[in-house]
Amino acid sequence: MSAIMQQAVPAGTAARGAIRIEDVVKIYDPGGAAVMAVDHCSLDIKAGEICMIVGPSGCGKTTLLNAIAGFHDITSGRILLDGELLCGADKPKAEPGSDRIVVFQNGALFPWKTNLDNVAFGPIMQGKLRPAEAKEKALSMMADAGLSGVEHNYPGEISSGMRRRVEIVRALMNDPKVLLLDEPYRALDSLTKSVMHEALLEIYYKNKVTIFFITHDLEEAIFLGHKVAIMTTRPCKPKKILEVDIPHPRDYSVLTSRRFRELIEETNEAVHEEALKAFAAGEKEG
Amino acid sequence: MLEILKKTMPFQVVSDTMLRRIAELGKRVAYDKAAIIYDAGDSAGDIYIILSGKVEHTLEPGVNARRPVQLLGAGDVFGWAALLEKFPHRLAKAVAIEPAEIVRINGDDLLRLLESDPDSGDVVMSRFATMITRDYTVPDLIAQMRAIHRKLHSSDIQGMNLTMYRLSLWLKSPRPYLMLIGFGLFLSFWYLAVEVWKLPRFREMPGLTVVIKEWLNPDPSYGLSIYTAEYYQHILVSIWRVTQAFVLASLLGVPLGLFLGWSRKFKEYVFPVFETLRPIPILAWVPLAIVMFISTESAVIYLTFLASFFATALNTMLGVESIDESYVRAAYCLGAKRHQVFRHIIIPGALPFIFTGLQISIGVSWFSLVAAEMVSGQYGLGYVINTSYTMVRYPTIVIGMITLGFVGYVTSAMVRILGDYLMQWRVRELALGGQ
Repeated sequence: MSAIMQQAVPAGTAARGAIRIEDVVKIYDPGGAAVMAVDHCSLDIKAGEICMIVGPSGCGKTTLLNAIAGFHDITSGRILLDGELLCGADKPKAEPGSDRIVVFQNGALFPWKTNLDNVAFGPIMQGKLRPAEAKEKALSMMADAGLSGVEHNYPGEISSGMRRRVEIVRALMNDPKVLLLDEPYRALDSLTKSVMHEALLEIYYKNKVTIFFITHDLEEAIFLGHKVAIMTTRPCKPKKILEVDIPHPRDYSVLTSRRFRELIEETNEAVHEEALKAFAAGEKEG
Repeated sequence: MLEILKKTMPFQVVSDTMLRRIAELGKRVAYDKAAIIYDAGDSAGDIYIILSGKVEHTLEPGVNARRPVQLLGAGDVFGWAALLEKFPHRLAKAVAIEPAEIVRINGDDLLRLLESDPDSGDVVMSRFATMITRDYTVPDLIAQMRAIHRKLHSSDIQGMNLTMYRLSLWLKSPRPYLMLIGFGLFLSFWYLAVEVWKLPRFREMPGLTVVIKEWLNPDPSYGLSIYTAEYYQHILVSIWRVTQAFVLASLLGVPLGLFLGWSRKFKEYVFPVFETLRPIPILAWVPLAIVMFISTESAVIYLTFLASFFATALNTMLGVESIDESYVRAAYCLGAKRHQVFRHIIIPGALPFIFTGLQISIGVSWFSLVAAEMVSGQYGLGYVINTSYTMVRYPTIVIGMITLGFVGYVTSAMVRILGDYLMQWRVRELALGGQ
């Protein structure tokens, strides 16, 4: 905790990783039944910013993330990364790439590779590093993230909290511009979650990568984010965008601060409204 | 002391020789009532195992444990801070609340001992980690254990060691003895039904003693026993045919299955044909096989191959289709190209299903081999059974059947061992009881 406090790194100074979402629409059309998942959504995320996307399960947040990552196409609008077009009118589906790495909801460490081989995977595949060099770099990055001792274990042998950390280190090995996190801590208990939040911030202060973080936990969002975008339930678009004016670096004392409570109160109603709408619509799927 | 050690969560899984060496490291110490064993902040050197008595273990508030106070009794292990990576000092206070006898083991010595056998050492350390996060609910950031240093590339031995480890566990469990009882019941029913009670329909069957006498007879009345060279020739011929058919079926079936699962277009071309041919029974292929192949030998191998091939290809395809989409997406995210995804995600991801397929495949290959050998061929266990029938050598039929059972079991076990060897990650997960 104290280590975090000493590193007085002003956030938002990174020169890369700005995401611009312009008027994006995504309509799923299974068997002619057009379902609008994302409706004219616009959002500006500064380079090096932690942007939290909050909304009830099934509101279409993941659709937005998939569009940025290049897993899905979009129906109209465009998405830019550092001014360059990821997807737009002529190119509805972005190319997946190691500049935008997703950390998946249920975790996607390859269970058949050791943690070390998982972390070293990216640079070896891209041919950026030789396997021996990649492993060396992976070892030192894992040590930095407090993961020494589990390098030669398989993911199935370590706790789910540790697996999440390994997965984030695996992403950072590639020096990405953006980390896309899809409710990564959903399955963790609240104690482990609190440890993971501080670990994530610690990693962030060292790397200052832009973070696009999907959650349905408002406290988590305000605690971690520079910016919190509260989304409407299907179709998904920002209902309220909150700039969190609590200075970084933050630690757990923030949770009991008055400003934090005020921000929660300010936004709670908007979130609750959407949750009710989602509940009424009977949306269950995440 | 060994008995107590064996009951503790971290050491349950250790071999007896290792346990003895661990026990040798321990020092027995007696504590009076209210004696403070250690206090938070003390430097941590030893771990403790309670032989008798009760100890109150209070974690310091800074650890944020959910259950700070625990009452420990015989068989409990505490003082694990001695094995932690970053906290070589005590995180808790331990007090004997009644006179207690306790074994102390130096953490460094224990670690050194575990390093001499990294396979069980790893299991012990991860058991410790699980115990700490589960029983003491200390965040796993803190509960990180010091590493067991092992040489890289020792991985190829581990697969075999795990198989041996499982074998030794199996021998120690009641399972083998239950299995023996099962066989005993089966054989005694056979004996009683045929030779003692002479039940209707069983009366004409060859009895247990007749079969065994014939089987172990240096001078068998029907010409086949473990003393005749012919017996082994039949076995070898059958094994050789199954091997050829199985290898061929795997070499063709696995790649076909991989491509069927990997490429939707390929599947659309091939799968309907595949699914039409697959249900055709092997016996229906016999006439065509004889017409197709001039030599009966190739006809037999072809028939044996067919059934295996379909089982392998189908299971491999299902294996590819069962792979979680996230793995594929994650690989693309990390910059892998299509062929790399195939090599690093699709193949290893499908491996559990592939090996299920291979196990089925080796089973059906014996099945279809016997069918094929009965129809044509000059040697082999199927041939033995068929000719013994026409020549009224009933005990020899049963010898052939039992031999088939044994050989089939052994080959299927070999496939399973190969699977364990190639899928250590899975074996290790299972060995730890999963997550």
